[in-house]
Amino acid sequence: MSQLDTHNHGNFVSTETIDGEIATLNLGPTHPATHGVFQNVMKVDGERILSSEPTIGYIHRAFEKLAERRPYNQITPITDRLNYCSSPINNMGWHMTVEKLAGIHVPKKVDYMRVIIMELARISDHLVCNSVIGVDTGALTGFTYVFQEREKIYEMFEEVCGARLTTNIGRIGGFEREFSPVFFSKLKKFLKEFPGKYQEFDDLLTRNRIFMDRVIGAGPITPEKAIGYGFTGPNLRAAGVDYDVRVMNPYSSYEDFDFTIPIGKDGDTYDRFIVRQEEIKQSFYIIQQPLDAMPEGLFHACTCFLPSCQGRGIQQHGSLNLSL
Amino acid sequence: MVKIVDAPEGVEGHGFFATSLDKVIGMARANSLWPLPFATSCCGIEFMATMGSNYDLGRFGSERLSFSPRQADLLMVMGTIAKKMGPVLKQVYDQMAEPKWVIAVGACASSGGIFDTYSVLQGIDKIIPVDVYVPGCPPRPEQIIEGVMKIQELAKHESLRRRNSDEYKKMLESYNIETI
Amino acid sequence: MSAQEINNASVLEALAAEFGELIINSDEPYGFLTIEIPAEKNTAIIQWLKEHPTIKMNFLTDLCGVHFPDNKGKEIGVVYHLHSWTNNFRMRIKCFVAAATPEVPTLITLFDAANWMERETFDFYGIQFVGHPDLRRILNMDEMDYHPLLKQYALEDETRDDKDDRFFGR
Repeated sequence: MSQLDTHNHGNFVSTETIDGEIATLNLGPTHPATHGVFQNVMKVDGERILSSEPTIGYIHRAFEKLAERRPYNQITPITDRLNYCSSPINNMGWHMTVEKLAGIHVPKKVDYMRVIIMELARISDHLVCNSVIGVDTGALTGFTYVFQEREKIYEMFEEVCGARLTTNIGRIGGFEREFSPVFFSKLKKFLKEFPGKYQEFDDLLTRNRIFMDRVIGAGPITPEKAIGYGFTGPNLRAAGVDYDVRVMNPYSSYEDFDFTIPIGKDGDTYDRFIVRQEEIKQSFYIIQQPLDAMPEGLFHACTCFLPSCQGRGIQQHGSLNLSL
Repeated sequence: MVKIVDAPEGVEGHGFFATSLDKVIGMARANSLWPLPFATSCCGIEFMATMGSNYDLGRFGSERLSFSPRQADLLMVMGTIAKKMGPVLKQVYDQMAEPKWVIAVGACASSGGIFDTYSVLQGIDKIIPVDVYVPGCPPRPEQIIEGVMKIQELAKHESLRRRNSDEYKKMLESYNIETI
Repeated sequence: MSAQEINNASVLEALAAEFGELIINSDEPYGFLTIEIPAEKNTAIIQWLKEHPTIKMNFLTDLCGVHFPDNKGKEIGVVYHLHSWTNNFRMRIKCFVAAATPEVPTLITLFDAANWMERETFDFYGIQFVGHPDLRRILNMDEMDYHPLLKQYALEDETRDDKDDRFFGR
């Protein structure tokens, strides 16, 4: 086994074998379970993965170099495509970075509007993750249930910005217009109907014996390792670390809202699933708060020009910690 | 409501129906296309929406996704293809059995889109032949469905001899794809 | 320092007391403590920050390169973003090297996360991380013969001939 260990610095390596027969398996870059593109050359002993050598970069699109030459407002569409499951969160992260750089203070109302959009995006992102883990473990039904809910979220985004997926939502300094009454009526309808649909989905998977057998104990990670490898977001919380940037460094008035941070215990696939399920609930709970307490005021900041700044915004963006 | 495809044109009488083989095979192929979703990025998420219950690609006989190129009829390339991915895409196309069709979904697959950069292939038609281009960044599910319907039209009206023609072979050779 | 609150001034003071001249300069853009250190001392200083009983910089948020072609003798930079979770304190550390010899010691011994980040920085800027066990390209093709984020290279692929400039307003 020592041979396997040497070239695998930093990669997952286990030295136990069951009967000593080791096979090499190539997974990806086009494999139904890789979602996106990612290659893994694995040494496997039966069904146990002993080591893996991952290769990434199959979808390297040179965002960094693209962003170097664009005005700040033209970078927003690029941020859509960073994590396309929840583009609004990336958009807002970028807007807030530039606002900080330019010293723009946005009205409270903008913060609240952003929180509504961001939490909707978080729900839609987690719905993809959790329904697709169902598909991967052999349960397609949940996917067909929650994608109807996602369509409703898309419809709300369309109402605000005109696009479904790559939203380019809002502007640096706020929004380009007020949320329309149609948006609010759609949102209220969604808030009314979603818990029932969510419960249906939850009933299908969370306590499903087959699903549990397939994911419990799969790919666990210890908190120390997770921190060492730079995990953030639900994957970190599933490992049992109660770190959430919305609480540690509140942005967009998150300090005004009341919510719980779910954490896991073992950091395995099941914990990650459960943490996401719980975060959907929390997001749902958060959305109602800015909606009820929406302050009066402008939907954008009053500023006419951006001072010229050297390109530090780009580096700032790197450390932005878009934890999804 | 169950909708059944119309029979092709032909001669009908008591107890028999006669038509040309091309048309029957075309009809069968067009309504049972098995797509291989080569989904690399954003457009792949819209494809998931297309497969979901609201848009339901299954209505067009394409609900059976084939992740093995050997069993697929329709290569749907959705998303940015980086230069690193190019050879993989070409290999997947090579492995598919004839007859095969290709849709380039979205601006990136069609032309590189906004990613006119050192690492992105400027359109998959640089390495494999493409039948239908679907514009959009990303296209709406309706547009993806229309792309599939265009492929259905192509499949329906394709001559059975087309894939053996010199013209077709020459076209593949221009892409450096081996013909048997 | 145990009773003291961790803030920009106190961390800077502790660093100056421990390393003195090695802290080349410091700044606080937007309240974010930023220090510049010599490249060859990065491991020692970051290890001290990580293992310090009260500062505890336990998380490597980001590691990236920068290229300033006009900054002669210090063209290439490596920027580290550290975060202490116990104190909720963030800081930025920069070190610069000459473009001719872009060599910076690796941080792998301290943070596992540095592995891929250093490979990416090598891929983009050609910075040699001395001591990295597996310094290969990570995002680009292995066949690529230049480091694309250096400023002298164009954004677009220069070999392409497909896009007619007339249609793109160039």
